[in-house]
Amino acid sequence: MKLAGRYVLPAAPTKVWALLTDPNRLAKLLPGCERLDPDGPDRFKAAVKFGIAAISGKYAGTIEFAEKKPPKSMRMKLSGKGVPGFVDGVSHIELAEKDGQTELRYTGEAQVGGMIASVGQRMIEGAARKIVDQFFAAAAEALKKNDT
Amino acid sequence: MIPAQFEYVAPKTLEDALRLVERHGDEAKILAGGHSLLPLMKLRLAQPRYVIDISRLHNMNYIREENGHIAIGALTTHAEIESSTLLRAKCPLLPETAAVIGDVQVRNRGTLGGSLAHADPAADYPAAALALDMEIIAASTAGTRTIPVREFFLDMLTTALRPGEILSQVRVAPRAPRTGTAYEKLHQPASGFAIVGVAVKLMLGSGGTVDDVAVGITGLGPKAFRATAVEKALRGKKAAEKLFEDAAHDAAQGIEPLSDLHASAEYRREMAVVHTRRALKRAFARAQGRA
Repeated sequence: MKLAGRYVLPAAPTKVWALLTDPNRLAKLLPGCERLDPDGPDRFKAAVKFGIAAISGKYAGTIEFAEKKPPKSMRMKLSGKGVPGFVDGVSHIELAEKDGQTELRYTGEAQVGGMIASVGQRMIEGAARKIVDQFFAAAAEALKKNDT
Repeated sequence: MIPAQFEYVAPKTLEDALRLVERHGDEAKILAGGHSLLPLMKLRLAQPRYVIDISRLHNMNYIREENGHIAIGALTTHAEIESSTLLRAKCPLLPETAAVIGDVQVRNRGTLGGSLAHADPAADYPAAALALDMEIIAASTAGTRTIPVREFFLDMLTTALRPGEILSQVRVAPRAPRTGTAYEKLHQPASGFAIVGVAVKLMLGSGGTVDDVAVGITGLGPKAFRATAVEKALRGKKAAEKLFEDAAHDAAQGIEPLSDLHASAEYRREMAVVHTRRALKRAFARAQGRA
């Protein structure tokens, strides 16, 4: 499954960068994130509960940042496993300044397997998009509050 | 294929069911026909603590005319809608849609209310419900409220129903003169779900113009929607095949189609155009009394 998107965030790239790479603040933005603990440099262990309506599941996984070029670009690796299935993903994130704000573009590719993939196939892309949208909406909100 | 443990409750009245739903909140799931919930539970993707079986409630399974509209009880099955002589005469879009849902077993058990409340992004009814401007009645211990269908589908599997509410009835207006409806669907062969489904209601004026039109599309995005760009391109214009062909090109405007194993986003977009064109032409023929 391939995903791509673009968001405009109401702060300068340095501030967005700081937010995205701070595990404590990141944990609050990730929908359903219950824990995010350091597990080596630029690597974190996560416990996340994802759910849409009746279908929900707990996942344990890791988040890893690589090829960091602050405040311009990085790669983010995600992997998780839970009762409903597993997910493995890599995304490339780019930040660019635009009128004092940040334009963020991402492209990503994810493999989803297990039960959720065999029966939930139709819904996975929609669910993934919804989670990413929620994440960046929360990020925009946090950045706005920081400014005032 | 065995569900996790759960408590099963089968209330006899809607009032009892509402009290149970209120008490157990999001630990409970409502079971109507069970054709969406039970597979999820068997695969343990859904693990509700309480299952409130409303399928035995009395007085929730009916199709009748009252106060100028047609009222349909939430527990009415797809098969009952498909074969209703009242609906075939006065709201033929619903029987036409019901007839192409899943297979015979699904149609015998699955219910209108269950399908709408589940809000599967590829379900058939949402397209027809939007094209008909259906009204959704939600009951709770505090009483009932009416939700226009255009405010009902919020996102994938998410509706405007609040915790503690049960969808109890839907209402549709009977077909007006010189009005034609049609549902065109490309189905996924294994599940029967819509890869794309397009429902159209088309009303002609005396001079052959399109007086009003409603186009509901399912399967394309995370929720069913009204193709307002298509409607706008048609309203007030002189009805003609060429007009429908041109307008149908806007079917997916503003929508980012989903893609999955069965159909890519590009294919879904193209199929939305094709099926919108077909549905418009068929609704037009019916509005003229030709089909």
